[in-house]
Formats: sequence, C-alpha cells, structure tokens
Amino acid sequence: MTEKNNNDNNEGGADERVVGTPTDTTDVVTETSAHSDSEHNGPYLASETHKRSEEQQRRGEKVASIWFLVAFLGGIGFLVSYFLFPPNAAGEPAIADPQIGQYSNALLGGTLTLAMFAIGAGMTVWARNVMPHYEVASPYDELPSKEEEKSSFSEFFMKSADESGFTKRPLMRRTLILAMLPLGLAPIVLLRDTGPLPGDKMKETRWTDGMRMYVEGTHRHLRAEDLENDPYGMISALPALDDEGYPHGMSLTDQAKSVILLIKVPEDDWKPGMDTPVREGSDETHMNWTHQGIVAYSKICTHVGCPAALYERTTHRILCPCHQSTFDATDAAKVVFGPAHRPLPQLPIGVDDEGYLVARGDFNEPTGPTFWEYKD
Amino acid sequence: MTRNGETVKWITARRRHPLAGYAVVILALALFGVGFAALAPTSDEARAQTLSAEAPSPEDVDVANGKAIFDQTCASCHNYDGSGTFAEDEDGNREMTNGPDLREVGPASVDFQVSTGRMPSMDPDNQMPRRDMVMSEQDLADLIAYYNESIRTDDAGAEIPYDVPGTPPERADFEDEESYETALEDYETEYDAYIEGAEDVDMGMKLYLTNCAHCHSWSGGGGALTDGRWAPELHDSTPREIYEAMVSGPGAMPMFSDGVITPEEKQELISYVKTLQAEPNAGGFFDLERVGQVAEGFIGWTIGLSLIIACAIWITAKQRAHD
Amino acid sequence: MSKTTQAPKALRGVGNFIDDRFHLAKTGEKNLRKVFPNHWSFMLGEIALYSFIILLVTGVFLTLWFKPSMLEVVYDGSYERLQGVPMSEAFASTLHIDFDVRGGFLVRQIHHWAALIFVASLVVHMLRVFFTGAFRKPREINWLIGVAIFALAMVEGLFGYSLPDDLPSGMGIRILQGVMLAIPLVGSYISMFLFGGEFPGEDIITRLYMLHVLLLPAILLALIVAHFMILWHQKHTQYPGQGRTDKKVVGTPMFPAFAVKAGGFFFFTFAVIAGLSAFVQINPVHLFGPFTPTSITSGLQPDWYMGFLEGSLRIFPNTLDFTIPIGQGYPIVTAVLIPGLGIMGLLFGALGAWPFIEQWITGDKRARNVADRPRNAPTRTALGVGGIVFYGLLWLAGSNDILSETFSINLYLTTYIFRVLIFVGPVLGYVITKRICLGLQRRDRETLEHGYESGIIQQLPSGEFIEVHKESSAETTHVLESKPVISSTALEEPETDDKGVENPNARKGMGRFRRALAHWYTKDNVSFEGVEAHTGHHLHHGAENEGKGH
Repeated sequence: MTEKNNNDNNEGGADERVVGTPTDTTDVVTETSAHSDSEHNGPYLASETHKRSEEQQRRGEKVASIWFLVAFLGGIGFLVSYFLFPPNAAGEPAIADPQIGQYSNALLGGTLTLAMFAIGAGMTVWARNVMPHYEVASPYDELPSKEEEKSSFSEFFMKSADESGFTKRPLMRRTLILAMLPLGLAPIVLLRDTGPLPGDKMKETRWTDGMRMYVEGTHRHLRAEDLENDPYGMISALPALDDEGYPHGMSLTDQAKSVILLIKVPEDDWKPGMDTPVREGSDETHMNWTHQGIVAYSKICTHVGCPAALYERTTHRILCPCHQSTFDATDAAKVVFGPAHRPLPQLPIGVDDEGYLVARGDFNEPTGPTFWEYKD
Repeated sequence: MTRNGETVKWITARRRHPLAGYAVVILALALFGVGFAALAPTSDEARAQTLSAEAPSPEDVDVANGKAIFDQTCASCHNYDGSGTFAEDEDGNREMTNGPDLREVGPASVDFQVSTGRMPSMDPDNQMPRRDMVMSEQDLADLIAYYNESIRTDDAGAEIPYDVPGTPPERADFEDEESYETALEDYETEYDAYIEGAEDVDMGMKLYLTNCAHCHSWSGGGGALTDGRWAPELHDSTPREIYEAMVSGPGAMPMFSDGVITPEEKQELISYVKTLQAEPNAGGFFDLERVGQVAEGFIGWTIGLSLIIACAIWITAKQRAHD
Repeated sequence: MSKTTQAPKALRGVGNFIDDRFHLAKTGEKNLRKVFPNHWSFMLGEIALYSFIILLVTGVFLTLWFKPSMLEVVYDGSYERLQGVPMSEAFASTLHIDFDVRGGFLVRQIHHWAALIFVASLVVHMLRVFFTGAFRKPREINWLIGVAIFALAMVEGLFGYSLPDDLPSGMGIRILQGVMLAIPLVGSYISMFLFGGEFPGEDIITRLYMLHVLLLPAILLALIVAHFMILWHQKHTQYPGQGRTDKKVVGTPMFPAFAVKAGGFFFFTFAVIAGLSAFVQINPVHLFGPFTPTSITSGLQPDWYMGFLEGSLRIFPNTLDFTIPIGQGYPIVTAVLIPGLGIMGLLFGALGAWPFIEQWITGDKRARNVADRPRNAPTRTALGVGGIVFYGLLWLAGSNDILSETFSINLYLTTYIFRVLIFVGPVLGYVITKRICLGLQRRDRETLEHGYESGIIQQLPSGEFIEVHKESSAETTHVLESKPVISSTALEEPETDDKGVENPNARKGMGRFRRALAHWYTKDNVSFEGVEAHTGHHLHHGAENEGKGH
C-alpha cells in the first residue's frame, strides 16, 4: 500500500502546493478497500461502473503527464519561435524573406501543433485510463406536454388575448398593423443609396473614335504594323488613357469593361459569319470592323465575366478558362462550345495618320456578362 | 526467419482488434502523405534545372554536318528543302500530312523545337512533350547554320535571341571539372544578370497574367487546351526558350513578336515568371505543386478530416471493461 | 481504495455566490449528469463546432491588421518581389499580415484551413445524420437549422475568400456578379446596389468584410448555439444496442469523462489544422498577385465547397437559353440561372424538405431516438448516395480542366462525359447502394440465424471442409434483432373498405401519389420476420438461401 499512498500524495502535499493542483489534503476522506471494483465510490452505483485498476490508473497518469510535459515544451517552443525571427529588421533574416518566412511558419506552427496534439493526447489518456469506465442509462424526456397542460395553456392564452381586446377591437388592431407597414419598408428604402441605378452605365465603355490603345501592362501605344507582320499575333490591350490617380491609366471598373483581345487572323481563315452585320439593321459588317486581318474582341466572357483570353492560333478558338465557353475568332466570336449566351462584343478598329491602331467607336454590344436589358 | 514469424504472429494476433481497421487506414494515409512529399518537386530542383550556357559562336559551325543532320532527321517530314509534306484533299486544298513548311518559321523556332526535345518528333500527329535534346549543342548549332544558309527564305521568321540565357552547360561537354565550373559560373552570372536586370515587377506581372497565365497558369504550371492539347509547364524552360516560344508561336500558341511585346518587356515578363517559380514557399514545405484550390480541398478532406476523425476514433474506441 | 475530495472552499464560495442568484444546483447537477452516447461518428459535429471557434479566434486576430479598402496604393512593404506594384489596400494589408506580422502567415493559413475543415465537417456530420435517420421526429427543426448553417457557411466562406483581393478571389466575386446579372428584370439593379456601381467598383470589399466578420458570423453563432441547445434539450440519438431504446439513452455522463474527451478533441482538431497550416501552403495570395478584372489563370478554382456550383456552371450548355421577343428582346440566360441558382436551390431545398417528405411517406409520427443502421433504411440510404454522387460529379466537373490536363483527356470530352454522368451516375449510385444494403441485410439475417464465421476450418467425417460458425455475442444479436420494420401508414389503409367502397384517401391524386411513394420506399427490404437467433444449423453452410428478399 505504500506505493499507492505515494501516488495519492505526490500532488497534494499542503506544503509544496503548486498552482493548478487540488488543495487541502485535510479535506480528503480516504477509505481503503481491497475490492475497489465492487465498492466503487463514484457518483453512480458500483454495479453500473468499472473503476480502472490502480495499476492502470498509475500508468495512465504517467503517460498523460508525459504528454502534458510535451505540450509544455511545445508551448515554450512556440514562444521561442516567435522571437527567433524578427519582422523586417535590416541585415537580419526577417520573415519578409519567403525562405525565412517558411521556417518561421513551420516552427511556429509545428510547435503549436505539438502542444495542441499533446494536450489532446494527454486528456484522452486521462479519460481512458484514469477515469472509471462506464456507461449509464438515462431516460429521454417525454417531449409533448400533457393534454391538460396544453389545454390549460391555450385557455389562458386565449382568455388573456380576449382580455387585451386585441381580438375584439378591430380598429385598434388594424391601425397598429397599418402603422407597422411604412416602418417595415423603411430599412429597404434606406438601402436605396447603396448604389446608382443601372441606366446605360453598363452599355458604355471608354473607347471613342480615334482612341489609341496601350499594350496592357505598359504605357506604349500599339502600332498596326506590330501586329500586321505577326502572322498569328495576339495581345491584350486597353484604351490609351492616363486618368489621374490610377497607375494603370484607368480604374479597374473601366478596365473591366473596355479590355480587348487583339488577334491577327491569316487572310484565308475568315469564316462567312464575318460578313454579317455587327448588329441588327446595321450596314457595317464584322469584317468592316477589322483592320488588315486584325480583329478586336472584348476580353470579358459573356457568360459570367471571366477574361476569355485563351486563344489557340491553330483552331482560332478563344476559350474562357473559367467555364470553357469557346468563341470562334474567325467567325465574329460566335459561341462554338460551352455555356456563354452570346458572342464576344467586337470593337471597330482602324489606324490613325501616324500608323497607330485606334478604335473607331464603341463595342457593338455591352461587354461583360449577359444581363436582362443588354439589348435595349 | 524467426523474427519474421514473430512479426507475422504479432500482426495476426491483432488483426481482429477493434482498432485494426483504423490502424490500416491511418497507415495508408501516412504512406500517401510521405509519397506525395517525395514526389512533389521542390523549388530548388526546379531552379537548378534552369541554370546554364553560352551562345555557340558562328565561326565554329560545320554547315555540312548541319545538312547531314537535316537530311537524316528532319527531311522525312519536312522535305529536303524544308517545304514540308503536303497532299491535296478531295476539294483540292493543300493539307499538311507529316510536317509543316519550315522556310519561313525562322531559326528561333528551330532552336526552340530542337532544344526542348520536341523535334525530331516520333509521332507528328500528337503534341510533343518536353524531352532532353536528342543532339549535342554543337549539332544544333550546325543544323541552324545549315537552316539559315539553305532553307530559310531570306530572313523570314525570328532570330535566336542569343543575349537571353539559354541551356546551362553540361558536364559532358567539358574535358575537366574546372573548365565546366567556370562555364557554369559564367552562365549563372549571365542568368542572374538577365533576371535581375528586370525592374518593373508590375509590368512583367501584367504582361504575364494578361497574355500567358490563361494557358500556362499563374505559376507557370501549364493547363488544358482543347482537343486534348495542353499548354506545357514552364518550370524547366530557360529564358531563351520562353523568348523563342513567344516570337515563334509553337503549336497552338499565338505569337508575340518584338513589336507587340518589346525585348525589354519580354525580359520583364520572363523575369517575373522565373522569379516567381524560384521563390521558396513562405506558407510551408508542401506547396501542392501550386495547383491551388483543387489540391487544397483534396488535402483538407483526405489528410485533414481523416486525421481528426482518427483522433475521434481513438477517443471513443471501445475498451474492454476490466483491463 | 478510493477517496472523495470535498469541494474546495474557494469553489464552494463561487458556487454558492452563483446559486444564490440563479438557483442552479439542481439544474447544474442534471446537466453534469447528461448522458452522451459514445461513437466516433457522433463527434463529427464537434469538429465543425471547434473549427468554428478556431475561425472566430483567428479571424479576430486577422482583423487587427486587415484593411477592407479598395483604395489603390503602390506597395512598399517588406515583401520584396511585389514592391512597386499597384494594388488595393486590402491586398497590401494581407501582405502585411503575411510578411510583417510574426505568426500572421500561420494564423491566416489556420483561418483558411479551418474554413475548409469547417465546411467539410458540416458535410460529413450532415451525412451521418441523414444516413442514420437522426433527422426524424423530434429533431426536424434541428436538421433545418443545420441546413441553414451549411448554406450560410458556404456564403461566409465565399465572402472570406474574396477579401484579400488577390487574383482568384476577385474572380470569385466576378462570377458571383455574373450570376446576379443573369437574374431576369432586376439582375443589373441587384448588382449595382451590392457593388455600389459597376463591377468591381470601390465598395465591394468593405461590404463583404462587414458581412463576413459581423452579420454572417453573428447569425451562424446564433444558429450554432440554437443547434446545440436543442441537442442538449432533446439528448443525442444513439445506435441500437442492449438497453438502448427510444425511451432510454445509454452513454457517458457529461462530467467528467465526456467533458474531458470533448475537450481533448478540441485540441486534436486544433492540432491537425495547425499542422496543415505549418507545413502545407494554402491560398498563397502573395504569389497570385493582386486582382485585376482583365487577368485570369488556367486552373482557376473556388474553394472546394463552391466547387459543385463551378462544375454545374461548366457543364450546363447554353442550348436552353432563349430570348423573350418583346421590344429588342430580353434574354433568359438559363445557362447561368439554372446552374448558378437553380442547383443551389435544389440542394438546400431537397435537404430541408426531406425529413418532412419522409414523414409524409411513412406517416411515422413517433419520436425516434435510436438511429437507423443505414442498411436498414435502404431506400433512404440509396437516395442519399444518389445525392452524394450528383454532388460529387458536379464537384469533379468543377475541376475538369485539371482532370483534362492530368489525365490527357480532351477538354470538351470531359464536359460531355460529365453531362451524361450527371444523369447516369446518381441512378447507378442509387441502384447499387440499394443492392448493397439488401445484401448486408441478408448477411445480418444469416448471422442472426447461424452466428458468425469463425475462421476455423473443420473437416467433416465425409471429407467435406466447412467453416465453423459461432454464436454471435448478445450485443450483436440484440442489434440484429432490433432491425426496424419499414412501413407506411399509407399502405396500412386498405384500398377498399370492408363494404367494398374505394378508400377515398387512396383514390384521390395526392393519396394515390403517396401510396405509390410509400410502396417505393418500403418494398425493398429483407424481412426478419420469424427469424430466431441461432436457430440455423451451426455447421451447415451455404444451402440456406431460401426466403431471401421479399
């Protein structure tokens, strides 16, 4: 029994009490019994429960404590890792360097993982080896109330409602409901200023007659000959604007509407669709809107608006990498596969006196995802 | 033998243990993880493969050897004068049968196709994956000299950008270790100078993301095209190969001539993607090959959720009442 | 040897202080004695709860530095590669968290991994509840709350994914806006109001931020608390077993064992998520670069839980699109509306309605506290698997470009394959699962009659080899014997009453429909009627096939 006593006391000595350990050995009522299993003194009947053998408990305690010690070391490791790598210190390895960042991340995360896992493991060992093992039964509550409770409730409720006059005084009731109506609408009305009405905003872009174009990412005007001599050329371009405050010359909103894909198509590859009018009743054909084999389509897919930019020079397909709508660049960007509703809008292009590529007006249709009133 | 016998016995005895099934599952998952880690290439490897060499000087080439190579390995598809092999279909249209006309593609295209091992191709109907070059650097130089002299129409097509770093030197081409290391060092200096010579990250990024990433992906990992073709990944590509691909438009790829994207802009673009690829992954050792969300979801389900559930199984596993 | 520690003075003091004010001793003890059945599959919901807690804590940390602003700035922070690049403040502040805040990168990755695990655990938890029939009375309302949590979690995840304003995240919002625009009549208005103008405008991140950190988490938290309180009040379901009935639950008491186990499980969940975050890079926004509406990457994907919508958008053809011929014409973009909104409505609608549909078919009005073994409700299980296959195929279709590239399949072909599979797959899943369920039922029946295969081979005097069958344990026998009979009140009503007059309930449209459904729901089942445990010949094997399948 000496062993057991040692074990019982190793945490509780009143003199050497540590924060987090149980108090007052004086309050402990100790019984000793040879048949611990049958006379288990827990909160449930001994017949229902199975206490772990003392030996197993002792083993469990040891293992759990080792886990908790590991967790402690992990926690210390976490704190140390935090101070190991400084943020952005000149001349020192800082976390802004991706390689150092990776080490810092691995150390911080690794120690945290270790600490967390060890606590979890310790608690599991504790529950499985130190605590008695048992399952007890308990009734599911009968959920519906008894009939008399229900009728009593409903009687009380209706009587009180009558007493309030709400049911008997229609004028008062109806005016109250009336009073609620405008107030109920108020929050919706208040949201009105979250944005402007669509109007024609989505149908206009920044392209105008004679506007030159930038190779996207640069501020260099694109010359017609740059593409003309490129038998299978392609490039993403934006209107040559230099709005103030925008490093790329224009807001993202403007970019989203006006970005184009310029494609040089070999002469023999055009399809008959190019000779159809650009929009119903127009004299201009899609072919008229090209320049020396260069055609300009909106880069924004008419499906849900990803940039449709994957151009295959061999098949002349323009594919959107998001949902794989496919347009035929040689056939007025007709939809040849996938979910898009309509062809990519086309931009009329030409060349100015100095040989630069220019737009000759706006797109034939609104760019971007198809919406209800796009044809109006 | 005895030891094995004991192991088998040990396993057999526990085969019907309530946790046995779970143990197998966890083991399999662990193996899966280790396997993945072993297979995923690190960025260091990717970087190492991009390092190398020097433009062969035009005086050293042997045009006769170039002709021999061309007649032997290229002419069967591209014809002896490089005009390609064509046949007329029912409507009288000329249809390419084996190989396209090479007379106007330019030396950059020849250099790209041969140095990336795509040519000579064994199967002209299919897209060729990147391979090791089948001939030596000297043979390639000879071949290109012959091409320029006898096949090319005037100066059609794009020139090889010799000032852009190409393939790194190979040990086999050098007689002793020292000269190899000198050459390698020179190459690396040249490579770093080219990559670090780029100044405008924003321009490089914009050019790459608006003109390249929709096929080759943001990381240069490649992607799917239609009809079973694919855009190759760019990890192994040298700056010169990327440059040549842009000016010559191999396969389904459109062309980006020096007028559309200037050489300086190309340097920004190439530097952007190469720097991105060489950057260590700040977020962790495993980068899931930078595939992105599909791989993340897969790992979240297979490794993440399974490990947590394995813990739940440990917590709730049945215990014999009296052990 | 045992001992009882009396409550320490300090604890008693606090206890008394609280009890004096709230009268909690009795309720408190009752709750400490609350019983929780033990099974690993009952802890799946806890994973969701714990990941949600992790999300709240890490999310608060991230807000300390994150600036939800779309103001364009030129980056001059510590991360060298992107210095000089114009980007939104949101993206710049995300880079700040990653490269200037120690542990920031880790916490951001924990936040993202926890989000993936959160939704994944919601799904597996929901599937567990579905397949075990734990949504039945009295738990229908809790099921509905669960469905709402699932739906909100998806939206919450999508909005969070959009905040850093990196390349893929901006595309996520773009697609969201594209779907909005397709809504007839009001689409462009909704989009204008949400974005404060055209896409992308300058407000959307600020607005999504508010929704992501305030409104949606508050609703989620309220729903999770309600979910948990209802569970606590109704008590957990349990698997069949000895002593377990619809009236009595058997399990571990809340205090101490269950509390310690559940606490330990929190740390395990955290450990796995932290482990992933330490070693596996997720959503490397610094590598993607900032969002521009003109750039795109191949292999673009949303986070996994939006994958099924991405897939349905990819495989739905535009052939059903039409234009209303009034004036200039108004488009009905079915190729966006059906996959973008219809599929989501179908998913959540079907999930929410199922408990009530099943109850209507079976007419089962009893409170069910013992969970079904999935095989014992073959029609429901098969239906569930059909649903999983449907969802899974859409999800896979969302990565068809990656499949196409990885396995060198024609991209368009993958689309065609998915268009066929989406109809064939669920049906196959349904049929095969039902067969498997019935097969398992037959095996159960055989086990019940003959015991289990012991693995011991004996040679009979006749020279024949047989495998010895042993009697199953009392527990197994009980579980097998307790197989519920699947029935429907619709079938109990006779088609004609005793006077030969047709039953009006059976004749009317809905009544007839219900009878047909009830027949479908109940017909395939292996009857255990008349089977008594261990009555078969223990040594007789293989010739006991009579009476299979009804």
